[in-house]
Amino acid sequence: MSRRLLAWIGAAVVVVALVALAALPRLRPGNAATATSTAWGEPDLQGIWTSDGEIPLQRPARYANREFFTDEERAELDRQRAEAIGREADENRRSRGSEQDVGGAYNAAVFTTHKRMGRRTSMVVDPPDGRIPPLTPEAQKKRAAMREYQLALLQPTDLCKNKLPGCEGGSYGPVSPRRAEAPPFYVTVGAAGGGGAGGGAINRADGPEDRGLGERCMAAALPDFGGNTGFFLQIVQSPGRVSIFYDTGQGQGWQRIIPVTSSPHLPSNVRQWWGDSRGRWEGRTLVVDVTNFSPKSYFQGSQENLHLVERWTRVDANTVEYAVTIEDPTTWTKPWTVKQEYSKQSDQANRIYKEPRCHEGNYGMPALLSGARSQERAFAAKQGPDPAKECTAGCGGFALGFADTGEDSNPLAR
Amino acid sequence: MRHGLTGSVVTVAIVSAAVSAVISISVTRTAGQASRPARTVDGKPNFSGIWQALNEANWDLQAHDARPGMVTQQGVYPYDYARVPAAPVLALGAAAGVPGSIGVVQGDGQIPYTPEAAKIKQENGEHWIDRDPELKCYLPGIPRAMYMPYPFEIVQSTNKIQMAYEFTSTARTIHLDNVEPPPDDTYMGHSVAHWEGDTLVVDVTRFNGKNWFDRAGNFHSDALHLVERFTPISPDAIRYEVTIEDPKVFTRPWRIAMPLYRRLEPDAQLLEYRCIEFTEEFLYGNLRKQQLVKRWEGDTIIVDITRKVPPGDQLHDWYRR
Repeated sequence: MSRRLLAWIGAAVVVVALVALAALPRLRPGNAATATSTAWGEPDLQGIWTSDGEIPLQRPARYANREFFTDEERAELDRQRAEAIGREADENRRSRGSEQDVGGAYNAAVFTTHKRMGRRTSMVVDPPDGRIPPLTPEAQKKRAAMREYQLALLQPTDLCKNKLPGCEGGSYGPVSPRRAEAPPFYVTVGAAGGGGAGGGAINRADGPEDRGLGERCMAAALPDFGGNTGFFLQIVQSPGRVSIFYDTGQGQGWQRIIPVTSSPHLPSNVRQWWGDSRGRWEGRTLVVDVTNFSPKSYFQGSQENLHLVERWTRVDANTVEYAVTIEDPTTWTKPWTVKQEYSKQSDQANRIYKEPRCHEGNYGMPALLSGARSQERAFAAKQGPDPAKECTAGCGGFALGFADTGEDSNPLAR
Repeated sequence: MRHGLTGSVVTVAIVSAAVSAVISISVTRTAGQASRPARTVDGKPNFSGIWQALNEANWDLQAHDARPGMVTQQGVYPYDYARVPAAPVLALGAAAGVPGSIGVVQGDGQIPYTPEAAKIKQENGEHWIDRDPELKCYLPGIPRAMYMPYPFEIVQSTNKIQMAYEFTSTARTIHLDNVEPPPDDTYMGHSVAHWEGDTLVVDVTRFNGKNWFDRAGNFHSDALHLVERFTPISPDAIRYEVTIEDPKVFTRPWRIAMPLYRRLEPDAQLLEYRCIEFTEEFLYGNLRKQQLVKRWEGDTIIVDITRKVPPGDQLHDWYRR
């Protein structure tokens, strides 16, 4: 009896082991199991990853309906860009001391991409033309309202007086009474125009909320494509959990944990800057559904109604493919999809700079606010110009330079 | 044949069930929650999950009485034990008090400060509201992040263990493999670990010395060296013990110890406590064009407490209802 029981248990152990083996996701031929599966049999996304190539978010018209550059085109674009960066520096030297010079020098050092062109002609892969779908009428209205407010604050500055591109859509005029109003939407990104509906920088520093999220050390957002400064992702997994540390945006990194679960999203009244992630495995792919974004979060004009479906796939030992479908029927007329490839970095070199210590060293914010207050005091004492006529955000240099758009160093934009 | 196959399948099913029952002895189940193996596939204690310290260590590592307020001032009597809540927390009543504690410092319960450091600790305590990095939402450092009143999550892999903290959405990576040291000193330390039997032993160095241990002003320098020991008490509790060494501040190494408890809610998850924005008024309020706090003297907040009691909410009104 006991021998028979032992035999049964032995047989059953074999069966359980076989079942466990069968349950392991199928490996791609040619990949060692250790390279792409965790010890517990889930697809292995672990390691430090980054996106190597410079790829524009949207496809330039001249490459319409072509998903990839040729190698020759990439080499030529790299050459043109290197020249453009040098030319930019020369032009700045010619106008030494101007706002554009100071802003441009900082931006050239910090925000100019030094990555080579990537393979793709755009990160947007759907729609097939590589362009973000049109904004809904509602989102266009929102964007126009924010732009109108931005221009009201810019109209008495030199930016509009000299008809510089940052004043596009506006004209030179007296200090607007709107300067005393609250902006129509929460101020989020630094770029003039806001890269979408609402949200852009405003030329005012009445308090910390007037400044962009970047200056407040809260710029990290989902989805994150690395921006012009690039980023590193560190992925660590345990059964049922995928942890991603985003080392992004000048010390503004953050820790994300994706529960792999079938449980529903958080109650809809619970809103978060980075939303609420729910993962599941579809074969070799981690599919993550993200909702519950905060109305203060911002991505290309989308705020609390943003819905992401991310797909993370280890396509080979050195590559993770990331695809995200971005949906918000209040912002875009249809969903769109971005695709990126991340390449594996050395685990041994502790390349990820994990400390998001922007806030701890944010001397910029108090300096900026106290600067604005001294200007006001000087003006009141008739010892300085009207601060309302000075441009501190959404103006010259910064807004027109590399920082916000990368356009000046991007031959694709010329 | 067909009968035979069916029979085999049934047998296997029964046996599998039996084996599953055997296996589940090493598995903890909680109503409504997925099973959690006590060990990982590589045979180590399984620390993956959401944890939280349930003690008063973040108030003061040492044993202490309950206090009437987070900030107190001398009352009408001149005795230290008769202090009363001070203005910054007065309006919060009993919600602003501090719970007592038996302390987490091991041995004689004393923290072996050098005489100079003891003076600094004393001053830190008196100027808590101005000096504690927690109030400014700065990265909390180790070991403090382990026992702040927020959950944290352990994602335990084979070569790396990620510890994610709800407070300010920060994290540290514990390296079980070879790794280069960080390029600069850090708030959260550089953690390298190995297993000693069932105990995870973590060696933490490369601190920048800007963190505190608690709200009582206990502090350290950039010479801080920690040896943390994580030992399972049960699948849902870890004994967390830290040996603290810092020759610039302490005359000898000393230890703290406490249990960490698993958050057993079936859908437990870390939420955001993105406190940078919560502290902007505190940090920059005096630099607003129109100040929300009406009395700033330089960068000092003068808090005038005016508590208008609405009709029907006067003292004792609730009792009469």
